[in-house]
Amino acid sequence: MAPNKTLAMAAVAALTAATLGACSGGGDDNGSSGGNVTMQLWMNATTGPGKAFWDKTAADFHTANPSVTIKVQSVQNEDLDGKLQTALNSDSAPDIFLQRGGGKMAAMVEAGQLKDITDDITDETRQAVGDAALKTGQVDGKAYAIPISILPGGLWYSKDLFQKAGVATPPTTLEELNAAVTKLKADGVPIALGGKDAWPAAHWYYFFALRACSPATLDATAKSKTFDDSCWTKAGEDLKAFADTKPFNDGFLSTSAQQGAGSSAGLVANYKASMELMGAWDPGVIASLTKDTKPLPDLGYFPFPAVPGGQGDPAAIMGGADGYSCSVGAPKECVDFLNYLLTKDVQEAYYKAFNALPVNKQAQGAVTEDYLKAVLDAYNKAPFVSQWLDTVYGQSVGNALNVSVVNLLAGKGDVAGIIKAVNEAARKG
Amino acid sequence: MSSNVGGDAAALTEDAPGSRVRDGGGVQAPPPSRPRRRGIGWAQRLEIAALSGPAILMFLSFVIFPVLMAAYYGFYRWKGFGVPTNFVNLDNYKTILQDGPFLEALWHNALIVVLSLVIQGPIAIVLALLLNQGIRGQSIIRVLIFVPFVIAEVIAGTGWSLMLQTNGAVNGVLRSIGLGWLTEDWLANPKLALWTLMMILTWKYIGFAVILFLAGMQNIPEELSEAAAVDGASYWQTQRRITLPLLGPTIRIWAFLSIIGALQLFDLVYIIWGQYVASTAGTSTMATYMVTEGRNAGNYGYGNAVAVVLFLISLLIALLYQRFVLRRDTEGALTEGR
Repeated sequence: MAPNKTLAMAAVAALTAATLGACSGGGDDNGSSGGNVTMQLWMNATTGPGKAFWDKTAADFHTANPSVTIKVQSVQNEDLDGKLQTALNSDSAPDIFLQRGGGKMAAMVEAGQLKDITDDITDETRQAVGDAALKTGQVDGKAYAIPISILPGGLWYSKDLFQKAGVATPPTTLEELNAAVTKLKADGVPIALGGKDAWPAAHWYYFFALRACSPATLDATAKSKTFDDSCWTKAGEDLKAFADTKPFNDGFLSTSAQQGAGSSAGLVANYKASMELMGAWDPGVIASLTKDTKPLPDLGYFPFPAVPGGQGDPAAIMGGADGYSCSVGAPKECVDFLNYLLTKDVQEAYYKAFNALPVNKQAQGAVTEDYLKAVLDAYNKAPFVSQWLDTVYGQSVGNALNVSVVNLLAGKGDVAGIIKAVNEAARKG
Repeated sequence: MSSNVGGDAAALTEDAPGSRVRDGGGVQAPPPSRPRRRGIGWAQRLEIAALSGPAILMFLSFVIFPVLMAAYYGFYRWKGFGVPTNFVNLDNYKTILQDGPFLEALWHNALIVVLSLVIQGPIAIVLALLLNQGIRGQSIIRVLIFVPFVIAEVIAGTGWSLMLQTNGAVNGVLRSIGLGWLTEDWLANPKLALWTLMMILTWKYIGFAVILFLAGMQNIPEELSEAAAVDGASYWQTQRRITLPLLGPTIRIWAFLSIIGALQLFDLVYIIWGQYVASTAGTSTMATYMVTEGRNAGNYGYGNAVAVVLFLISLLIALLYQRFVLRRDTEGALTEGR
């Protein structure tokens, strides 16, 4: 009996040692530099060209700076936020990591977990990227992240289905959109909406608000976090009037956004719906859901149409930007790497790997796809670029909008419910 | 090796009754029974500590500690990054108890508790009575009824959510057998969604109730029904006067498990209705509310306060149930022990 017990104890001890060893492996941040530096990088591309891009970029940077080694770690996209939060709170954060920006970034800044990189962004970077894009990484005028790709929103549509229904040019006004939807619905291809995930529904409200509210109001609301301007009600009423024409696919409330052929992106990918309102990540998602998992050949893009009677600019655009941050304990070489990410060649490689718009203006010349060119055109013409409203107003307001807009579309709530939910969200966080 | 383990177990079981005999001796000669406990040697104490230590440690660190931490975070307005600093006293709790969506979720939980008992109980008893008769293919039927309970919630939920979509299999079947007028938006129609959920819950958990009741019925001595038969009782009389009353303790335990499960219901709703549509469709529960308002909204302090409220409600109901309903059963168990 005794030998067995000893054996078991030894096994337990060995396991414990292995676990402890694994834990302590993560904590090799070195705040100072000089000599050899090793940095951890967390990103969300787990397979294919995306992962290859990061591996190659880290290796290239090491070749140019032999004293700096970057260990790239893939984290499944849905796991990333939780893991990152745990790592940041337990002082074992990676040196460089994917930054989604907005309210979460503000919370990280408030907790003192991000490196202030304001003075370390080089002039070349500033020139190549431009202030508008760099602003997405700032909190109270200080920079805590660099944008790596811009992801403006708009309507992604099938050119073939539009043509078949007799819609010659993409709609530019709400009236034209309504007329187009009537024709498309007659063909059985409505607008796809992933209502189960709620945020795609909330995006419709965001865009109506972008048309209804002036930039000054949008900015002021970021501070007050209350929807007391009448434009918020107008946006809700515009959305309600639009939803009352039943433009969305049947059962949109139980349709998810990105999972499987039954999702809204899947409906567009398989010609079961004519278009959907999404961010610029949509071409990649749609491509992964077509029958042969190749890009949709007739995919097109048009910006959200003009809506009459609002104070917003009819050409204003809304979108997000994926960025990268350095944790507060990261060595100064971290920012060198961020600057390197924004150089023309790396940005072109990024565009090719992710099929996403680069922020470097010179690299934008490499874009070949029609729909991406249409996005760039709309983006560069826009007099005002807003971030997604949940990014500007924080997760708590975004969550309240998600819930209340779904209620509105389901006929359970009304416009006043949206305003009330947002104003109450402030009490919860 | 396995024989060694067996030997170990045997040694333990021998020890346990031994100590009980010593205690029993104490009862016969009242006061000075305690000191005799010193009879447990250090080796035995070490063994008890070594064997129960890991379990106690796990319980403390994964049950008690999180509950205490949730209570602590619940007093703060906290976004989940860094250490909470914004102490708000009972504000979170005040907000919760005044929040319409939370009260709705609480109401849904109450409905699910009651409907689960009312729907699943009778059906399960009838099924158990049928299966207890020794009909043909009994074991196959038993397995079929029990299979849904074995399937993981996520898989069952994903399956149902695909089948119940407006263009899903259920409506497809209805249309193809000429019942097209019955097609419905099963998941998103607020008037229907809760009943859809109850249907899925019944399908999923009825097997558990049936197995429990069957086990309870096997424990009822056959002599009783034989005696009743001799006295001329009909089949239904036997079931009503003998089987059901003697099944009481089993039914009460099942009801307890069902109530607790219904109060904490999360996974099926979350999988089928997603993170947001549950409250719109009228199937949100306290647990889905906690995730929506806590994690999705990034209000971790508020979410922890919701967790505490959910914990207190479950605890209160569990204690009341133990005190007033299970009392007879547990008392019986204790008398036996004496």
